[in-house]
Order: sequence, then structure tokens, then C-alpha cells
Amino acid sequence: MLIYILKRLGLAVLVALCVSVLAFALLRVQGNAASALAGEGASAEDIAIIIRTHGLDRPVVVQYLTWLANVLQGDLGTSYFFKRPVAELIVSKIGNTVILAIMSLAIALTLAVPLGVLAAVYSGSWIDRICSGISLLGQALPSFFLALCLVMLFAIHLRLLPASGAQTWQHFILPAVTLGYYITPPFMRLVRAGMIDALSNDYVRTARAKGIPSHKVVLKHALRNALVPVVGLVTVQLGLLIGGSVVIESIFALDGLGYLAYQSIGYRDFPVLQAVVLLLSLVYVVLTLLSDVVNAWLDPRLRVS
Amino acid sequence: MGALLTVDDLRVDIATPRGTLRAVRGLTFSVNAGETLCIVGESGCGKSMTSLALMDLLPRVAKRSAATLNFADTDLSDRRKARRIRGNQMAMIFQEPMTALNPAFPIGDQLTEAYLHHKGGSRAAARARAVEMLDLVGIGSPAERLGQYPHQLSGGLRQRVMIAMALMTDPKLLIADEPTTALDVTIQAQILRLLRDLQQKLGIAVIFITHDLGLVSRIADRVMVMYAGAMVEEGTAAQIFGAPRHPYTQALIECIPQPGRTARGTPLGTIPGVVPSLVGQIEGCVFRSRCPLARRECESHVPTRGAEGHRWVCVDDAPAPALEGTTR
Amino acid sequence: MTDTTPTASIPTPGASMKSPSRLSLRRIAEQPSLLVGGGIVVLMILIAIFAPLLAPHDPFVQNIAARTVPPVWYDGGSWEHILGTDQLGRDYLSRLIYGARISLFIGFAAVAIAGVIGTTLGLLGGYFGGRVDMVVTFLTTVRLSLPIILVALAIVAIFGGSVTIVVIVLGLLKWDRFAVVVRATAAQISRLDYINSAKAAGASTFYILTREVLPNLAPQLIVIATIEIASAILMEAALSFLGLGVQPPTPSWGLMISEAKNYMFFSFWLIAIPGTALALLVFAINLAGDGLRDLISPDGRG
Repeated sequence: MLIYILKRLGLAVLVALCVSVLAFALLRVQGNAASALAGEGASAEDIAIIIRTHGLDRPVVVQYLTWLANVLQGDLGTSYFFKRPVAELIVSKIGNTVILAIMSLAIALTLAVPLGVLAAVYSGSWIDRICSGISLLGQALPSFFLALCLVMLFAIHLRLLPASGAQTWQHFILPAVTLGYYITPPFMRLVRAGMIDALSNDYVRTARAKGIPSHKVVLKHALRNALVPVVGLVTVQLGLLIGGSVVIESIFALDGLGYLAYQSIGYRDFPVLQAVVLLLSLVYVVLTLLSDVVNAWLDPRLRVS
Repeated sequence: MGALLTVDDLRVDIATPRGTLRAVRGLTFSVNAGETLCIVGESGCGKSMTSLALMDLLPRVAKRSAATLNFADTDLSDRRKARRIRGNQMAMIFQEPMTALNPAFPIGDQLTEAYLHHKGGSRAAARARAVEMLDLVGIGSPAERLGQYPHQLSGGLRQRVMIAMALMTDPKLLIADEPTTALDVTIQAQILRLLRDLQQKLGIAVIFITHDLGLVSRIADRVMVMYAGAMVEEGTAAQIFGAPRHPYTQALIECIPQPGRTARGTPLGTIPGVVPSLVGQIEGCVFRSRCPLARRECESHVPTRGAEGHRWVCVDDAPAPALEGTTR
Repeated sequence: MTDTTPTASIPTPGASMKSPSRLSLRRIAEQPSLLVGGGIVVLMILIAIFAPLLAPHDPFVQNIAARTVPPVWYDGGSWEHILGTDQLGRDYLSRLIYGARISLFIGFAAVAIAGVIGTTLGLLGGYFGGRVDMVVTFLTTVRLSLPIILVALAIVAIFGGSVTIVVIVLGLLKWDRFAVVVRATAAQISRLDYINSAKAAGASTFYILTREVLPNLAPQLIVIATIEIASAILMEAALSFLGLGVQPPTPSWGLMISEAKNYMFFSFWLIAIPGTALALLVFAINLAGDGLRDLISPDGRG
């Protein structure tokens, strides 16, 4: 188990390094970093000074290593647009994104787990067909279109909820519902497939033969086994959540990381964009690492060996 | 003394796109307290369906019906009452010990589950009972075993755990569906001996389902031979092995290799022909398409004959002549 | 001949005689989701191909005098513009019809690129195993950890938005599912006997991969491709909606919704019409994909 975790950790570090190279390249390919730093109308001398002070004349590898060392110390550079340290900006926005992610994940799981279990227990029946219909519709509806429809209904017509911003908890409801709905269908399909697989196992029949009530057979014996693969797959789908939050935050002007990234693209504020890409990738790397460890812990066959 | 389990006209129908598959066609039998009934037949003859039907464990597509389905004066077709008996007074063990235990829970948890559900009581009492049962089925250092997971046990040990699990609630009837088929021959013999010892020690009735007539001779009090979803012959082990009346039973016995008697190299018996389709009704004798003695009368209604607990379904009342020349 | 047990299985009546092609035709007919979904998709493809013949107006011609004319079923609508006109007075039905071209082209083209990349990587990893496989798995893990929308947004922001850029970016980012599935299946297939006999017969690796392994992957590849096309279409729409995909005046459904955003209070249909078209197309593709998957693995375990 310990060896497995160490191996898995090593892989995660490698992936993170690779992602950091890509994020570093992002800042370099966008053209002349020095003139971007100097701002519009800078003289050739200004640019020359910037090249020297920022070490832009040194070999790329050295620049990367310097940058990496800075990143590891929490120095993500300075925003071109906001004229503030990027790390500070990110710290001030990350809370909103985390709240949004947790709320939408909660919405998605409260929908996906019961519906997926129902669809699996009654697989082939009309309940299953309704559930798969909901999931197909959910996958087809573009999230930004759903967002606009919800704004139209709840913000404009009913005047119940605010349409944009992040000042109160009400501001999070529409974005969280949209994002939660967006990630529900893949979760539901995973739960259903996992449950159908688990329910077809002999040990489910054994449990029923013991006279255990069927709800307990489903919820204890089958669900526990179904969750083992599902936990892993759900984390893979968290990429969807992270990507979706960029779109959703932009629509609702919810002042989080995604909205910050969207703004930074508009302002060509590449240090910020670079930092957000790096951060969101690392979040994913850490989450998959955690899920693999949790999975190993959930599966006794892996735990003991 | 009345029968423990009384089954009259048990039917299992499975709806398929090609029509209703009648897996069990009007089975009537009973099991007395403390006796071992062996249900024998080829794969697909409906013996497993029968056991699942008794336990109400049939897959959702299968429909069960019966004129009588009584267990110790309780009507099993009343699902509410049946649920209190299943896993309590009536327990079951299965063919595949490798998959029949839940990999996610330690065996102690699985052993005590039914006991806690049916008998209540404290967790400690249930665990004490589990230790006692593991000891009874011959598992060493039982207390330590409770924390182990199924994948840490061998196939033979798992089947012992399954048996211990079935005995937890002190059942009156144990249904064993091919419990030794998936095991090595030596383990098979151990499990079989264990089942026989337990049955004698605890006085439980056993329904033992198998395709292996060789096993039957070692444990059965009574034997029921099934073919194509129906009973063809039933009697005491002595009657079935000593004086089989139905051509199918005779052919099956022909097929058992006899150590010492079956000479090395001589071909064992096989039964030519194919089993009839189980979709729809079968008129007349179910076995006639493979019976060497089949004749015109077999196509119409065939009577159930018999006396003194020996029943068989055949147009011939007299003992059939030896079939050695006709089967090969 | 020395069977100890009498063996005779129950023959499944009527199953043995049918030819495979007749069987599969019948099974396609038994898949209503494939028929309905596939039907809608084919219809949309035909509309996209024959857009110049079907569109009643030029989708680019502006008419400031006839801006935001509502569709025919609203007060003030006319048969001249069945779905009304947009904020620049362009015929909405014509733009919708041409928009189908953009969506379908980007969906198919991006998935074609992604399919080639993912299948190649997956085949190499699955077939050769060992170090090659480690590299493929590693690349896939790195790709999966990049937030695809954000990276696409960044690249489009750097290189500018156009249909070509969007196709290339999505093609370069959406190969992961192909790689994962192909790798797993190729690893299974490469251990089978007939591959070994092909090796023994001296067939080249390229021949084995393209003639023996790839054809066996075809059914799964088709299913993944449908799912990915639907997802690529949605992603293009999202990029265009955020102003970082297809650029105006190209009629893209996502862009149409984006352009109509400021008018949504008075003319919600400007958003509802392209939104519904998008949802219908993606729904149909996914429905067809589900049907195909059930066709390939009837037990429904995908």
C-alpha cells in the first residue's frame, strides 16, 4: 500500500512538472514578453532594461528553472492589468470558485446518486428510461444556454435571484444549479453502470438469500462495491467541473478563478492566465491522486497487499 | 410427522422474445424434517430454478406460481411471511464460493448480518455465535478470521464460511445448490463430508442440488430426478439406485463411472439426442425424444406411477428392461 | 467421448440459422434511439450540405431597417423571415441553416484529428506495452490534467479565433478518450492467438496494427467518435459564446447566442432558437451514440 502511494505520488509530481512546462510555454509563445511587460508606447531602451532585469536574455531552460523556483516559493509574478502580485489575486478569488465547486458538486451528487441507483435497480423499466432521458437532455443542453434561460426566468421574470456577481449566497444559486446540472449526467451514468455491475454479482444474491431487506441489499452490499470504481471515474470527470466553472463564472460574472482567467484573456494578462491554468491543472492532479488513494483504501484487496 | 416443506405444482415461467420458457413445469414434492433430498438432473433441467424459486430469489423476468408452497405451516407465497423465513429458518449456499461473498466487507460482518437481522441481540452475541459456527465448520482460529476479507481465504475455506453463514440462524432447512462443483476434488470430498456430519449433528433437512449422481449416492436419503423442468422419478436412495424405473434414471446411473468395475478405456455411457425446447408446452413424455423405448403412447398423457414413496412418470409400469445394449 | 455427465444444452430456437447481416439489420431496426437520433443527424447533415439551396436569404446581408423582426408566430412576424431577423437585420433562419455547417464541420473535423492522434497513441501503447505504454499513459494523464476549455481559450486568445484554429485546438485536446479506450482494447487483442499467428507468419507490425487490430476496434471507435463529436460541437459553441471561437460575421450557433445576449430581455427567441437547435443536434448525436453502443454490446454495460 505504501509503495503504491509512493509510486502514485511520483507520477503526480512528474505530471505536475510537465504541466508547469506547458504553462511556462504559454507565457513564452504569446510573443514578446518584454514589450508586453513594458506596456504600450514603451521605448526601445525601456524594453532593453526590462529584458535585463527580468532575465529574458538568459537561456530558456534557466528562465524556466528560475520561474519554477519562484512559483514554488509562491511568487507567480505580477499581473499586467491589475498591477498586483498574481498570487494575491488568486488567493482573493479562489474562495468563490471553491464555494461554487462544492455547491454544484453537492447538487450533482444529490441528483446523480439516487437517480443512478434507481435506474440500475429498475434497469430496463420506464424509470430507467426516464432517468436516461434526463441524462441525455442534460448532456445536450449547452450550459451557457441553460444559464441564460435560468437568468431569464429567475432573475428577469420572477426577480427572485441576482443574475450576476458574487456578493451574497443568493448569487451562487443560479451558477451552482447550472454547473451542477451540467456535471450530473456523466455522474449518473457512472453510478448506474457501476450499480448494474454490482447488482449482477453473486454476493448480492447471497445477501438476499440471508433475508436482508432489499433496500439494505442495494444500499449496503451493492452500492459500496459500485462506489469503488465510481469514485475514480468521478474524479476524472472533475475536469468537466473545472472547465465548466470557467464558462459559468464568466456568464454570471461570479468573481472566481474562472472569471479571473476569462478577464485575463480579454486583457492579454498572461501571467494571471498562466497561473490559473497551472493552478487548476494542479488541483486536478492532486484530486486524482487523492481519489486513487481513497480507492485503494476502499478496496480491501488493495489495502492489505 | 408432517413434512417440513410441501411443494405442489410449482411452476417457473420466463418471458422471452420467442415465447414463454417454462423452466419448471408443475413440480410436486416434499421434504421431511432432518432428511436429505437430492435433486438431480442435467444443466438446464430446472433444478437451480427450483431452488431459487423456493427462496424467492428468481431473476425479475421469471414468474413463480404454485398451488401449495408451505414451509413449517407458513405459506411461502405470502412474501411478507416468507421474508421472515428466508435466511432464518431456511438458508441457502451457492455454487461459486469465490464470488458469493461480498469482497468489500470482512467475513465477520457478513456472518453476523443475517443473525442480527432475524434474531436481533447484541453485536457481541452475534460475533460469539459466528466464532462458534466457524469452529463448527472446521475453521481454525475462528476469532481471528472474523476480521479477514474473502479474498484472503481459499475456495474451500470460503465455502465453509458460506456454510457457517447459513447455519448462523439455526435453520431447519438448508438448500445447497451445487455447493461442491466449483471446488477441487479433494476439497469437494471434505465439504461433502462436512455437510453430511452437520446434517446428522444438527438434524437439519437439506435439499442438495447436483448434476453429479455419484455424489448423490453418498449423501441422499431421497432422490428426485428432474428432466426438462419436470420430475421423472423420485424415491429413496435405495429405490433409485437399486431399482430405477424410469429410462432416464437408468441411463444416468449407466453414466456413473464405477471404480473397479468400469474397465479402463471402455467408453462411459452417454445419452443420445437433445433436450426438447422448454418454450411452450410439451405434450406427452418429456424424455421421449431421447428415450430408446419411446413409442406411440408416449406422445399422449403419461401417468405418474408408483407406490411406497417411489414415484415415476412413464407409460411403463413394469420395471424397464436393462438398457445396457441401447446406451453407449 | 468420456463424458461422465450427460451433456445436452437447450438449443436456442431459431437463433442459429440467421445470416449475420440480416441479424444486424434487424437489430438496427430494434434500436429506436439509433433510428430517431441517426435520422435527425442525417437530416441536419443534409441541411448543412445543401445550405445554399435551402436558405431563403443571404445569411450575411444586413438590413438595418428590419432589425429584430420576431418569428412568424409572434405579433409582427412575417413569412418573409420565418424565424425573424437578428440585431443587424440578417435573416435568422438562413443564419441558423448556415450555422449547422459550422457546428457539424467543426465537430467532425476536430474529432477526425483527435481520433487519429488518440488511436495512434492508444494502438502503440496497447500493442507494444512496456516503455511505449508508459509514455502513452503519461501523455494521457498530462492531457487529462489540463482544463480543456481554459487551455483552448488561452490558445485561441494567442493565435486569434477562426474556424481552422478552433478545429486544430479541439483536435489537439480531445484525443484522450480515444487513447484510453483503444489502448485497453489493443492490449487485449494483441494477446490473442490470431495476432500471434500473424506474427509467426512474418507479418509486419504496421500490417498487424492496421489490418488485424484496428478493424476489431472499429465499433468502439465509432461510438467514441459520436460522443466526442457532440462534445466538440458543444465546446465550439461555448468558445464562440465567450467570444473566443469562431469570429463574426460567421454564423455559429454559439456566437448567435452570444450576440443576442444583450437583447434577451425583449427578444428571448434570439437566444432560444439557436440554443434549441444546438441542444437538438447534440441530443440526436448522443441518442444515436447510445443506440450504437447498445447495438455493439447488447447487455448494456457499454
